[in-house]
Amino acid sequence: MAANYWESTQRRHWQFTREQLEDLRKKLEDEDQNLVQMYPLAQLRHLSIYFNQQIARLGKRLGVRQQAMATAQLYIRRFYSKVEIRRTNPYLVIATAVYLACKMEECPHHIRLVVSEGRTLWPEFFSSDTSKLGECEFFLISEMSSQMIVHHPYRSLTALQGTFSLSQEESSLAWSIINDHYMTDLPLLYAPHTIALMAILLALVLRPNQTGVQSASNSGGGIASAAHAALSSFEQSRSGTPEKHGGGARTKVQRLANWLAESNIDIEAIVDCTQEIISFYEVQEQYNEKLTREQINRFVKARGLDK
Amino acid sequence: MSLTSNPPSSGGGPSSVSASRTQTLKRSVQQAFDDPADRGIAPNTGYVSKVRVIDRYKVIGFISSGTYGRVYKAVGRHGQPGEFAIKKFKPDKEGEQIQYTGISQSAVREMALCSELSHANVIRLIEIILEDKCIFMVFEYAEHDLLQIIHHHTQPTRHPIPPATVKSIMFQLLNGCQYLHANWVLHRDLKPANIMVTSAGEVKIGDLGLARLFNKPLHSLFSGDKVVVTIWYRAPELLLGSRHYTPAIDMWAVGCIFAELLSLRPIFKGEEAKMDSKKTVPFQRNQMQKIVEIMGLPRKEQWPHLVNMPEYAQLTTLSTPHHKHAASSTSNLEKWYYSTINSASSSSTSNASLGAEGYKLLSGLLEYDPEKRLTAQAALSHSFFNTGEKVNASCFEGKMEYPHRRVSQDDNDIRTGSLPGTKRSGLPDDSRPGKRVKE
Repeated sequence: MAANYWESTQRRHWQFTREQLEDLRKKLEDEDQNLVQMYPLAQLRHLSIYFNQQIARLGKRLGVRQQAMATAQLYIRRFYSKVEIRRTNPYLVIATAVYLACKMEECPHHIRLVVSEGRTLWPEFFSSDTSKLGECEFFLISEMSSQMIVHHPYRSLTALQGTFSLSQEESSLAWSIINDHYMTDLPLLYAPHTIALMAILLALVLRPNQTGVQSASNSGGGIASAAHAALSSFEQSRSGTPEKHGGGARTKVQRLANWLAESNIDIEAIVDCTQEIISFYEVQEQYNEKLTREQINRFVKARGLDK
Repeated sequence: MSLTSNPPSSGGGPSSVSASRTQTLKRSVQQAFDDPADRGIAPNTGYVSKVRVIDRYKVIGFISSGTYGRVYKAVGRHGQPGEFAIKKFKPDKEGEQIQYTGISQSAVREMALCSELSHANVIRLIEIILEDKCIFMVFEYAEHDLLQIIHHHTQPTRHPIPPATVKSIMFQLLNGCQYLHANWVLHRDLKPANIMVTSAGEVKIGDLGLARLFNKPLHSLFSGDKVVVTIWYRAPELLLGSRHYTPAIDMWAVGCIFAELLSLRPIFKGEEAKMDSKKTVPFQRNQMQKIVEIMGLPRKEQWPHLVNMPEYAQLTTLSTPHHKHAASSTSNLEKWYYSTINSASSSSTSNASLGAEGYKLLSGLLEYDPEKRLTAQAALSHSFFNTGEKVNASCFEGKMEYPHRRVSQDDNDIRTGSLPGTKRSGLPDDSRPGKRVKE
């Protein structure tokens, strides 16, 4: 269903356990062991950071809304759970995902424009032939079984803003955390509202007005340690241990904890989400853009995937 | 090639294809699915579908065509139960060569929405196969559609659709609408040709080619799609230039369909004003005129936002020459309704039993103010459905027999034949087969 997450294809076909996801990926690697050995790649989270950067660059040139970029990121993640990355030209896949996501999110761009921007951004790896992108669109849609409607956490965040009296800063921090979660497996693991609650929780405990965080992804280690603190303070407020210090945000965390306790929401899932994003922020510290780019470019060139 | 450097294991070469081809099929029909020119330049490179349409389905014949492509009737080759309607989107041609040119936004929407939706009163998608630069959407097959049923009741002479059938059709149609609207889906092109009926009497809303989600920020009707709801079923707020889509536009169309089930003719059969050379959308004067003739002019007392409509000024230019005074304010809908349901020549199948509740439902759907118009949810609990005869789950409870859908064996006939089916709105040939004559 289009409006109902519970009956959506997203929940029925694109929500996995960690084990299932691991199996899928292992199967892909096993099918192409030589390929995998010949072209080592950075860990998936680093690849995701790289893809995210490339999508942002293309999105900026095209003036694409954040939600469409999020949709594109999820398409890419779904696609690469079915197709070995070394068999594809990631630049073409990225551009195709953006092109398709824009159509789905009602902000379409002409295929020629997308191709010409792709050509400008990645001249050595991108064909000016629009039919390549059109062909890749078939590939992408087919691997996704035409299941293209995506439920994002943004809507839950907007809906819950009032419930938890989020300030402007807290809301935008939560929004940034949601933006960042597309670089993790979380969108394939948890429901959008679970992710939204995780983002709200983190935003409340990080207290953006005090730490002066602009974008969660830009700050790195600071965030990770603050998030650890966040998690433990959340656990405390869940168990009802009163905090001596703390102002408005503390009260809000308490309110969130009470609200969760009264709801049917799986609190363990939120804790797990929080840990996942924290560990992502830690891993982000070691991200080496140059190395990641070179590894990708190497197999694309060597295998003639840019042709 | 860019996508994958290994040929997929499935697929099979052309030789296996011809082996499985059935002799009894006319070459021309099968050709639509198996055109060597479609096969791509080099068979072992690029995207190749894992599933082949002709391996999974046996095409029986051609059903209809539209701007998007063609619809074929098929049966499964592997014991899939039932029959299927396969909608083939035609690829764009650049010169003689068929190229990947990017899938149209409306096809993308239809693919995505149909994959998501699941309801007894919405046509069911079986699968989508992307093969040889073409998109094949495989749907459950429906033997009839409302256009065909309405037409049948005008042959050889007019005889009304039985009231129990009308009631069941309306209930099922509203039920499907309610589901779509609850899921933030607007159909935007409801008309008799798009409402399918299975041989078991189940009503299925079909052709979601113009449907879209309305929880997304919408571009205006004029900036986005070129084709919009078929003019006879177009809601007055759209005719008056509203750029906001709401579920109410579908409900107006449902009202028009209800009226048509009763009278066997489109209730507001206007003529479409074409776009001029500057591609500005003209005011659909003739269509609005047709509505005003029956409904009277809309008044701001009954429709507060009327004065804000972009084409509001145009209303003063409308006239009803025959009875100027009557047209200015009062509605003739009630008169239209009673003369329609009582007009049956043979009293045996008269629709008179639909009575006053039928009028209330009709006027609730054909309400000028979109905010006051009945919603699908409200219409379903309307007293029309719990007064008099019970609503049948099958609309054929009255043992009606309708001719089967025409299935042609010859692809070449399509350009001449105007078959009922999924013809897209706004086309010059959108008129009814055999109904071109002035009524």
